[in-house]
Amino acid sequence: MLAIVLEATAKIGFMFALIMGLVPVLIWAERKGSAFIQDRTGPNRAGVLGIRLAGLIHPIADVIKLLAKEDVVPAMRHKFLYALAPMLVMIVAMSTYAVIPFGDYIMIGGEKIELIVADLEVGMLFVLAIASLGTYGVALGGWASNSKYTFLGSLRATASMISYEITMGLAIMGLFLIFGTFRLTDIVAGQGDLIWGWLPKWGIIVQPLGFLLFIASVYAETNRTPFDMSERDSEIVAGYHTEYSSLKFALFFMAEYAHMVVAAALIAVLFFGGYQIPWLPRPVLEANAGAMLTGGLIAGGIVLGIIAWAFFRRARREKGWYNDAREREPGFLGSVCVVLALVNLGALGLQPWAISELGASLYATFAQIGAFVIKVAFFSWLFIWVRWTVPSFRYDQVMRLGWQIMLPAGLVNLLVTALWVFAVHQP
Amino acid sequence: MSYKGLPDVVTTRRRNLLESAYFTEIARGLAVTGRHLIRNLFNTDKMPTVQYPDQKRDYGPRFRGRHRLTQREDGSPRCVACMMCSTVCPADCIEIIAGEHPDPTIEKYSKEFNIDLLRCVYCGLCEEACPCDAIRMDTGIYEIAAETREAFVVNKDFLLNNDKDGTL
Amino acid sequence: MAKLTIDGKEIEVPDGTRLFDACREARGGRDLPHFCYHPDLSIAGVCRLCQVEIEGMPKLTIACNTIVRDGMVVHTTSKRVNQAVTQVLEMHLINHPVDCPICDQAGECGLQDQYMDYGLYESEVEKTDKVLKKKAKVIGPHVILDQERCVLCARCTRFCEEVTGTGELGIYNRGDRAEIDVAPGVELDNNYSLNTVDICPVGALTSRDFRFQKRVWLLKSTSSVCNGCATGCNVRVDHEGGRIYRLKPRRNDEVNGPWMCDKGRMTYKDVHREDRLDRVLVRREGELQPISWAEGRQELLGAVKPGGVGYVLADPGRSLEELVLIQRLATELVGEEPMAGGVSDDGHDEGDDLLLSADRRPNRKALAWLDFAEKPAEALAGELSGASGVLLVFGGDPLAHQALADAASRMRVVYLGTHRTATAEAADVVVPLSMWAEKDALWVNKQGRIQRGQRAVLPPGDAREDWRVLVDLLQSIGHDPEVAGLPALRRLVAARLELEDENLLNRLPEGGYAPPRLADAPTGGR
Repeated sequence: MLAIVLEATAKIGFMFALIMGLVPVLIWAERKGSAFIQDRTGPNRAGVLGIRLAGLIHPIADVIKLLAKEDVVPAMRHKFLYALAPMLVMIVAMSTYAVIPFGDYIMIGGEKIELIVADLEVGMLFVLAIASLGTYGVALGGWASNSKYTFLGSLRATASMISYEITMGLAIMGLFLIFGTFRLTDIVAGQGDLIWGWLPKWGIIVQPLGFLLFIASVYAETNRTPFDMSERDSEIVAGYHTEYSSLKFALFFMAEYAHMVVAAALIAVLFFGGYQIPWLPRPVLEANAGAMLTGGLIAGGIVLGIIAWAFFRRARREKGWYNDAREREPGFLGSVCVVLALVNLGALGLQPWAISELGASLYATFAQIGAFVIKVAFFSWLFIWVRWTVPSFRYDQVMRLGWQIMLPAGLVNLLVTALWVFAVHQP
Repeated sequence: MSYKGLPDVVTTRRRNLLESAYFTEIARGLAVTGRHLIRNLFNTDKMPTVQYPDQKRDYGPRFRGRHRLTQREDGSPRCVACMMCSTVCPADCIEIIAGEHPDPTIEKYSKEFNIDLLRCVYCGLCEEACPCDAIRMDTGIYEIAAETREAFVVNKDFLLNNDKDGTL
Repeated sequence: MAKLTIDGKEIEVPDGTRLFDACREARGGRDLPHFCYHPDLSIAGVCRLCQVEIEGMPKLTIACNTIVRDGMVVHTTSKRVNQAVTQVLEMHLINHPVDCPICDQAGECGLQDQYMDYGLYESEVEKTDKVLKKKAKVIGPHVILDQERCVLCARCTRFCEEVTGTGELGIYNRGDRAEIDVAPGVELDNNYSLNTVDICPVGALTSRDFRFQKRVWLLKSTSSVCNGCATGCNVRVDHEGGRIYRLKPRRNDEVNGPWMCDKGRMTYKDVHREDRLDRVLVRREGELQPISWAEGRQELLGAVKPGGVGYVLADPGRSLEELVLIQRLATELVGEEPMAGGVSDDGHDEGDDLLLSADRRPNRKALAWLDFAEKPAEALAGELSGASGVLLVFGGDPLAHQALADAASRMRVVYLGTHRTATAEAADVVVPLSMWAEKDALWVNKQGRIQRGQRAVLPPGDAREDWRVLVDLLQSIGHDPEVAGLPALRRLVAARLELEDENLLNRLPEGGYAPPRLADAPTGGR
């Protein structure tokens, strides 16, 4: 019993850490990325003893600011629902992770532990059900604020979520037909196969149209550009969270990024093989663990060395720019990189090429988790990248796209897939 | 007449099927923004941003900064309180109270000369209007900060001794 | 009648007309350039600017000193004329200091106007070559002289000789050293000295009172009527930002011509005097304490009740509309007898035979029209000692008379006035009223001419339009005069005066109106 509790706690802890760790990084990436895309420098002021980490300290400063801020509330709000809404949004964003497999399994003390918090039979349906609840948070928040802007924002959010949830469901229906299950672990495992011996059987390969429909509808579900109708600044101030401040606003703000992470994880799990590394299934990883680990350590050492060299060069160039603690930053970071590189190379002394069988299994597990995290990070970044590239759709355009184009396309996709599956699995 | 060879009437082309499917166009857009991102990522020094408090831009000699009142050779202010500047001022930010000067060849002088720097729009019309070259905006000072609104109303003594790093 | 052609336009003017006036008529009201010509002074012909070309005459002729003849053909804008004007103007400006930035005349200066119309040449005179003369010379209590700016048009010397007959000013020396001045030991101190400032076309004579106070182009003008005496000179109130800076005469040939006296010009100072009342004051614990308008109104309405009021005292300084309302209020409150239009001993001083009237109240004639008799202080004191209750005083300063103050000491004094006078100090309730420049009001001058003064500035603090206070009082005692605005009020006044047209006072002509029916009414006062 204790083991089960510990196991669940550890897995929940990992997912929680992944999300809450990614949220500030995404906020940072949003700011810095948008700045670079627009030829600006972006945040670079907040720092501790001159260490600014290219603006990575800013989200921390923001959190402290939001914690310390006065909570300004509208006088005529609905008190209970107004307080409930941000919590609801955050809870919904966090719950979805329960059914997402972030790795295959891990061997601890001879026990095989599945790397998923709750391996539900109806995994994907759970995701869709929980995601629908997210609408409540937005709609209630907008309504309870008793402001026209927030009300318009929540109306729009509700409309877009209802419209695109249908498409989202239809888009992945084809996937369920092909893999024959709702269980996400099975879907990921199924994507480890190869078609004709060389093509990974990823969701995007077998369901390209489904992928496009799905990615468009999750963008709408997360209220991100180009479907950010519910918080469009030029029209309705900040939409449904106009009247929120302090920590309640922070919850809405973080929930947006948490939603992005869950959407990215879903894209990765459904269409990009989840934790699967293409052409390197688990047995191959375990068999070649020693060689790969050695190569990885050497390559890591070299890369860290190059980064350190770049930092030192920068330190030389920036000498005399600021005349304060900021000048020491590149030198300090360069030294850290040198130390890490030395640790990397020093680890070679442990003879990684002669790794044990248990070690090889652990290595394979962590390599797969790493692959999953990299995929999630990339699709999270894609959200940001698209936001700073594509202009927003108008409200009517969003509605027309959803109902007149994506919904029929989803139906066609489902029909074709069903016919194909029927033809292949002719009883 | 076309301007710089540009056509007078711009005709829009209908989008073809590929374009109206968005995805290829979005991919092209992503390529553009990605190119900017990568370029800036590896050339942070060459960005046009001026790191303001640490770096400052050089302005030309005609830049209009905070005002100052000029002086005659004997150190007395040149202003004769003719009110040309306060008349022409579109922001109505100059307040002058005239007085009788003890020297009858000068006759009139400004007893008080106040400029509300918060109201001023830095248009430079007061310089243009002044018949005595008494007010100039050549200090080059543009960093103007104070803690109260009252502090932004600067008086004659301040304007006469308006050195480069003078704070309010 | 003479028929002549000016600039190709045929006009017909009476015989004996000056060509200058004929030219103005032909040019659509536009004067010829001039400095010395003034319609109310003799012809001097010294500035040589109004030169015109008359066909058949070999040389150019000045229009001001030429009488029209039948069949004259005159050109006022020919090249020859323009050239002559430009050259004459250049000569006037040879020694002019061009210190417009510090000159109070800038903005209403003849030289500036003429230069913009006819000059615009490059000066050939170096600033160092100019003849220097005395600047900023004080020549009288009101006037300051700058000899450098003078163009020797001799308007001021002619004014002093012909209008006032005092002859203080004269032209001394010859050639480019000629200058206007007063003789040693003489001051320009007659009561009309500021008119020389008005007629000076340049900034040679300027007002000491207005000196450096405001640039003239910033001033806004409102036409009004002087309240200094019973003459009722038409004036222009020049004001800016709620503050009056000067009074200037407004031409009304029936009343004051183009002139006004210095005493009248200084009356604007009373409007901004420090002892103006701007709050309602109530006596509490022996001291007059300011209270809000809402409270003050309750206090006033509580004091002014039929039966509670023992005596009503008005003042000839109140406007015609107010006097009508006061009389009506008094009749409702106290009946026919216990009221007076004012203290007949007050408001008399020395007059002169030009404009200043010995009667220093602007509206005494109106009291006579309304049969609202003034009473001497002694008679009033007698009546007051027989009265009890509230003494209601509208304006003036009756309790400055010791006898009246003693008689009123037993009564509760409610004073509605403008300044903190002796009456205000003795009163129990003091309500601020507005002064003449702060309201749109009618005044009856000593000729029996109704003239309208318009509102130039807003009254200070809680003071408001006086007739509204009076209407409020009438309404509170149940006698609503049913006046919602000024037009209705003026109809009420017209009905009281039994004028032939009830709207006559709403469309008074520019120069005022003297009702013939009331022309023989006796003058008030002694």
